Amino acid sequence: MDLDKYKKAWENQPEETNKVSKIDIYKMAHSKSSSIVKWIFIIGILELIFWGGLNLIFVGSSYSQVYEELHLNALVKISIYLHYFVITLFLVLFYKNYKSISISDNTKKLINKILDTRKTVKYYVYFNLFYMVLANIVVMCFIFYDLDGLIQYYNNHGIVSSDINKNQLIVSLIIAMTVTLSFMFLILWLFYKIIYGRLLKKLYKNYKELIKLEEVN
Amino acid sequence: MVNYDTNIYLTLKLQNKKQPNCIIFRMSCNNLYFWATYNISTVLNLVEKELEDKFLNDFEANQNIVHKVCRIYTTNQDAHNDLFQEITIQLWKNYSKFRGEAKFSTWMYRVALNTAISLYRKSTRTIQTQDITEYSFKIKAEDYDDTEELQLKALYNAIRQLNDIDKALIFLYLEDKSYKEISNTLGISEVNARVKMNRAKDKLKKVLNP
Repeated sequence: MDLDKYKKAWENQPEETNKVSKIDIYKMAHSKSSSIVKWIFIIGILELIFWGGLNLIFVGSSYSQVYEELHLNALVKISIYLHYFVITLFLVLFYKNYKSISISDNTKKLINKILDTRKTVKYYVYFNLFYMVLANIVVMCFIFYDLDGLIQYYNNHGIVSSDINKNQLIVSLIIAMTVTLSFMFLILWLFYKIIYGRLLKKLYKNYKELIKLEEVN
Repeated sequence: MVNYDTNIYLTLKLQNKKQPNCIIFRMSCNNLYFWATYNISTVLNLVEKELEDKFLNDFEANQNIVHKVCRIYTTNQDAHNDLFQEITIQLWKNYSKFRGEAKFSTWMYRVALNTAISLYRKSTRTIQTQDITEYSFKIKAEDYDDTEELQLKALYNAIRQLNDIDKALIFLYLEDKSYKEISNTLGISEVNARVKMNRAKDKLKKVLNP
């Protein structure tokens, strides 16, 4: 009742005085988008490359000599192939989700699809972290099981002197592993807080607002 | 010469081994047949050109909708232009898929609101200044009376203080959209749309008359 006069004012409002000409509309239509979806796509691709690359490089190449002396080659190879398979799977899923985002959908569906696309990448990162931790644990187990082999490897390459204490070695290995993994988690946490926090805050807020009351009714 | 008043039938013949880049049109007119060969890219350019012309005409005629959306979702001219551009990009990108299933303006409401609610990133480069008095809301001259102008100004200021979803609800209400269309646009049930609308209106009233 009270809003009626405002509604009337709204209906009587004049047309925009700064009309955009056809030429300008044309130019705008052909310019580059800087939408949230586009950023999610770009960051998602970078993440897929970063985490995939990191794991494959770390597990794959740089320590291959150690693996060979510890007789872990077959295991490492299998895990790398498995990893390629999973990367492909996630890439396909990511692309499919991305492509299904349509601005002509209703608002709820649209936000849902954007968040789904982002979730694909999130699960991919979880997978990589899980894989990294698991790979580290497996390698550690093998190393502890065959500690003499590692000491021999170190001796052969002149990394440590021959009178090294086994317990000392175990402790230093565990410390090195923990530090590396914590560093990874720290990077990840920062990455998520800063980039996705800013990018998705609005979407989550709007989505929550939209589905509020939906369950009740 | 062909008399264009009579019916002209076109048959497309896509497979053409001698000229793989061409499309052959078989045209018949008053029982006379003739063939015309066009380069595919020429034809596609023509189709694209026509689509573009249609888009520009549709857009230009309805651009006021987009301006209103930009006005309620942004607070300064730079941001207004930014959002306007993003909406234009999204409209054009999806125009070929639109195919006139609904009215252009109905589709435009949806794309414009979706862009403002879900795709638009407030640019962080420009400082968020509150120069919202920039717009001039001159009411039509015949019944010139500045109360309506002031009401409109107050209304815009009040709407800007609502959250993104409430803005959309109030905007669709002011644009006289039915609850069916509102619920379709936002993807919520009609009952929920009504409840949300009443709350949004209450919030708006509170801002207008504190």
